[in-house]
Parts: sequence; structure tokens; C-alpha cells
Amino acid sequence: MAIAWKPVEPSYKTYLQIIVLIDMSILALIAIGIYVFVPSTELLPNPLWLGVPWAVLTLFFGLFWSSRRFQFTAYADSNEAMYLRRGALWRLTRAVPLNRIQHVEVRQGFIERMLGLAHLTLYTAGSGGADLSIPGLKLSDAEQMKASLVNTIAEEPIEDASHD
Amino acid sequence: MTELVWQRTPILTIGFFIAKEVRNLVRNITNFIPVLAAIFVSNSDWLPYAVIGGYLVFIVVSAFLNHHFFLYALADDAVHLRTGVFGKKSLTLKYERIQQAELDQSWYFRPFDLVILRVDSAGSAGKEVEIPGLPFNLAQDLRQRMLAQTASAKATTENTVADREQTEAPAETELTFSMSEIVRAGIMDNKIFVLLAVLIYPLSQTDMLEERLVPWLEANVSFLEESLWLNIGLAVAALAVLFILAVGVTLIRYYNLHFSILNERYQARSGLFTIRTVSFRYQKLQRVQLRQNFRGRLLKRFSIRVSQLQPSAHAQQQSGSASFVLPVLTQHLVTELCGWLKLPRSGDLDWQGISFIALLNPSFWIALIAPTVLLVTYANDVPLMNGFFTAALLWLAIQGYAIARWRNYGFTISNGWLAIKRGVFGRKENWYPLHKAQQIDVYQSPWLRLLGYADVFVHTAAGPEVIKYQPVSSALAMQREWASMIGSNHQRWM
Repeated sequence: MAIAWKPVEPSYKTYLQIIVLIDMSILALIAIGIYVFVPSTELLPNPLWLGVPWAVLTLFFGLFWSSRRFQFTAYADSNEAMYLRRGALWRLTRAVPLNRIQHVEVRQGFIERMLGLAHLTLYTAGSGGADLSIPGLKLSDAEQMKASLVNTIAEEPIEDASHD
Repeated sequence: MTELVWQRTPILTIGFFIAKEVRNLVRNITNFIPVLAAIFVSNSDWLPYAVIGGYLVFIVVSAFLNHHFFLYALADDAVHLRTGVFGKKSLTLKYERIQQAELDQSWYFRPFDLVILRVDSAGSAGKEVEIPGLPFNLAQDLRQRMLAQTASAKATTENTVADREQTEAPAETELTFSMSEIVRAGIMDNKIFVLLAVLIYPLSQTDMLEERLVPWLEANVSFLEESLWLNIGLAVAALAVLFILAVGVTLIRYYNLHFSILNERYQARSGLFTIRTVSFRYQKLQRVQLRQNFRGRLLKRFSIRVSQLQPSAHAQQQSGSASFVLPVLTQHLVTELCGWLKLPRSGDLDWQGISFIALLNPSFWIALIAPTVLLVTYANDVPLMNGFFTAALLWLAIQGYAIARWRNYGFTISNGWLAIKRGVFGRKENWYPLHKAQQIDVYQSPWLRLLGYADVFVHTAAGPEVIKYQPVSSALAMQREWASMIGSNHQRWM
């Protein structure tokens, strides 16, 4: 039985590209700042030495990386567990059994809100950080998934294992 | 609900609050860097004393205030706490939510028959509450009430010395470790380097060594310089003394180690000055670590550590000293303990190794060592043959180590337990009840993808564990199988 992977919203790719653009322009601003404000530019390399790799990196992340990442990102839920795969070059497939979920969260960042996206985060015990975060969901979908997960968790039967 | 009776801890406990303040100071020592810098820069005579004196006054005053505003009340179903001098904090801990309750008999309370009650709740912040200065019997009672599982569990396993006769339900299993065993533990788990670091750091910070010790040595023991062997002998003797001191540290910690099992609650109690108790309930067990380092192999002893749920990374750091450890076990005891813990550990386990592909990546980096060494020796005018042999030997040793590591690595799944063993000189086995795992990851770096392999991470409540280099399809199958096994297992896991 193969896992029925569900893709995320196509606007997730746009979201990734915007993130790349923001990060890269911060880098560019820092570099420009150095060139403008450092008095002697003799020690610094020709701006082209930085500019060309910067452009290549921007194109790489903006076109190749973000589309690969979008393609690979998917989630699936079975009766027992929630699955998520993410990553572009380094890939991770994660499974969280439903009866280990501690709490569920729907979050929306600023850019996500502009695109009408949200991400759903499941937390488990012991790991400290966010555990399974499904990005690029429609807000309504995320809310609905959250509601159904919370229901499942609440109805979870617990046997007392003392006889075990 | 009955009216709460707020109580203050006895005035004797002021020592506890002072100790707490001092601990806070040590923990936040970095905050004082600006002050230290100011002292250093100002170069004044009185400023350091003023700062130190001021701080001492502050510690004492805040300890008194904290003591004065530390109120607790014991109700039938909960402990209530009210603390804080300026920022007030009110805390209610329900007994049923309490994960852990331990009694610490600090050395400064023991003469007065007082104890510190340390309580852990299940909250995600890993809140730990300490109530100092409770009378021994009251604390004993309270702890029993907190941990009460069955009505008959009124037994006080702690009182084994005083009123062994009166205990109604004696522990099912009891063990007391003899002095010689604890000394063995000290040899196995020797903190000599920690001790060395603790001693050297203050010495290096003062000029004592250069100004006093070295001239004194030169003046009085000039014969030292004449013999190399004498110097070596002295160094060895110094290390030996440190080694024995380090054994002493273990002895203080584990003196009269007493282990008992009662109603699935495992408890270890030990200490020469401060008597600490750590315990866990079988239900909450998340990991068993069985270790044997090189010295342990020579002494034929093992050590075991049992972990429970650690609510946060912060708690994980703190609880290093509070986790359940039996530092020295014979082979026979290990077998018996595995039986009690229901570990399916036996000689005929089907340990699975990992693919030899796992050696590829480390071997590549190790292979770079030989040419590097050769280049370095060549540049330093070492005869070519010598350089060549050194490089070859070094490469062989490290490569051999890598292969041994790979060969000794194994994992197995047996009766719902996942076990992983590793170690070249020492041995280490980690056992996890698989149905308590929290997440299962399959991870592929570009390199692993190229080879068609993946790493499987099992995140448990006691920390992550990795099984490296599994073929992708079997890794994914493992993930799916385990996830659905865990998801359909409704046993209590914490």
C-alpha cells in the first residue's frame, strides 16, 4: 500500500521565491552598504566578483531550488500517522503517529497571509522544537485539518498499561 | 475544599536559599562580565572588595526575603506554592499530575532530620519545584501520597534502616551495593579530567603559579631538574592522586547505593553526605542505556542509565545528575535487571549490521590523512622512509578503527524493543520501547540519494536515535510499518 501523497498549493512556490528574493536582497544590501560606506575600496574585490555569483545563486534558488522544493513537498495522512516530506537536495520524510501529538497549531506569516497560505504544525513530546510543519496549505484547509486532528486526539483511547 | 494552611519553611532552610542564590550566581556569571571589566579598568583598590561585599549582602538579604515569601500549603489533592518577593508567583500542583517526587537529604539538613522535596510535573516547561526543610516523616508521607498507586503502597522503602520491621509491603527486590563495587564504579566512571580542569582553571587565572610556586620550586627542589625520570614519576604520582580523588567523588555520590523495586517503581538511593533518591515508574521508561567502557570491560562491570520523558531541552541539560543510574553492575546483575525491565536481551539476538557502503564516506576522508602527513613530514625534512611509514601506520590505525566501528554497530528489533549497539573499545547499547517513539524520519542527503540509501531517525521522548545507511525502500517500509504500529498502539506511553 503506497502512501497517497497530497501536494501543497501551487502558490507555495511563489512563497518560496519571495523568501529567496528577500533573503538575497538583504545580502545584496549588506554588500552594497560595505562598498558605499567603507572609505578605501582598494582592498575589496571588484564588485563583479560578488555580483555574478550573487546573480547565479539568486537564479538557482529562485528557479531551480524553489521548484524542486515545491515538487517534493507533500503530506499524507493515514489512520495512524501523519506523513510529511520536504526538502529539495537534502530530503526528509517524516512520520508522526497521531497518538503522539501533543498539540496542533495553525500559523500564518506575513507573506503567507498575502498569498492566502498557512502552515499546520504538529508537536510531539521530547523534541523541544516544532516537529511536523506542513507548509503551503490554504488557510481553510489548515483549519479543517487541525479540527479533525484535534478530534482524533481527543477520542484517542488509552489503555492502562499496568497489566503490561 | 478545606481552607489552605499556608506554611513557611523553618528558618534553618535559609542555607538552602543561600545555596540557591549562589547557584544562580554561578549560572549567570556571564552577566558580571561588564562589572569585572569595570573593576579591571578602574584599577582601584577598594572596588573589588566593595563589589564582592555588596554581592554577599545581596545574597544574604535576598535569601532571607525569598525565605520569608516562600509559602506552601498541603491540601488533600495538591500542593500550593506562593513565592516571589516582587513578582508574585502562585502555583498549584495536582498530585495526579506529578511525574516525579524525590527526597533529597542534604548534608546541611541531615542533622536536623529535614529533607528537600523535589517535585517534577508533566508540564511542557518541565517545571521543577523544591520545598526545603520538610520534616522527614511528613515528606515521606507526602511523597507516598503523590506517588500513591495502590492503597497498600504505604510502604516506605526509604526507611529500610530505621523501621524495616514496620514496613507493611517491603520492596519486591532490594539490592545494596558494597563499598568495593562503588570503588569499581569510581574507576570506571572516572572524572579525572573534569577534576583536572576544575583545578587548573583557577590556578591559571591567578599569578600564584608563576610568582610563588615556580621560584619556590626552583629554590628548594632544584634536584628535580637533574632527572627526567623523577619528573615523569612526579607527574604520574600527581595523576594517580587525582585519579584517587576522582574515585572519591564517585564514592561520595554513590556511597551505600541502595536499589529497590516496589510496585513497578524503581528507586536508587545513595550518597555519603547528601542522600539523593531517584526513581522512575516502569510505565514511563523511555530508554535504557547499557554501557561498558574500556575500564569497565577490564573490570567486567556494566553501568546502566534509564531515561524518562524529558519535557524540554532545558530539562535535559539539568537532569544530568538526576537521571536514574546504576553505575556498576556485574554480568549476572545485568541479566537480572534486564529481566525486571523486560528487556529481551539475550545472546541470540539477531543483530543487523549496516551496509559496507557506510564506510565509503569516512574512508575517503581518512584516505586524505596519509598524503597530508607525508607532505608535512616532507616539508619538515624528515627522512622520506620515516614519513612514509608514519603516514601508512596512521592511516592504517584510523581506517582500522573506522572498520571496527562499522563492524561493531548493529541494531535489532525484538519484542517491541529497538536496540542499537555501538562502540569499539567500550560497548554501548541503547534500548528503546518502540511503541513509545514520537516521530520517525527518513533522511537523504544528496550523497545518500546517489547511493540509494537513507538514514532512519527515530525520535523518542528521551532523545533521537539514528540507524544509518538503510536501502531507501526498506527505510520507507520501516517508517510506514513502525508509524502504523505506534499509531494503533493504545498503551500508555508516559
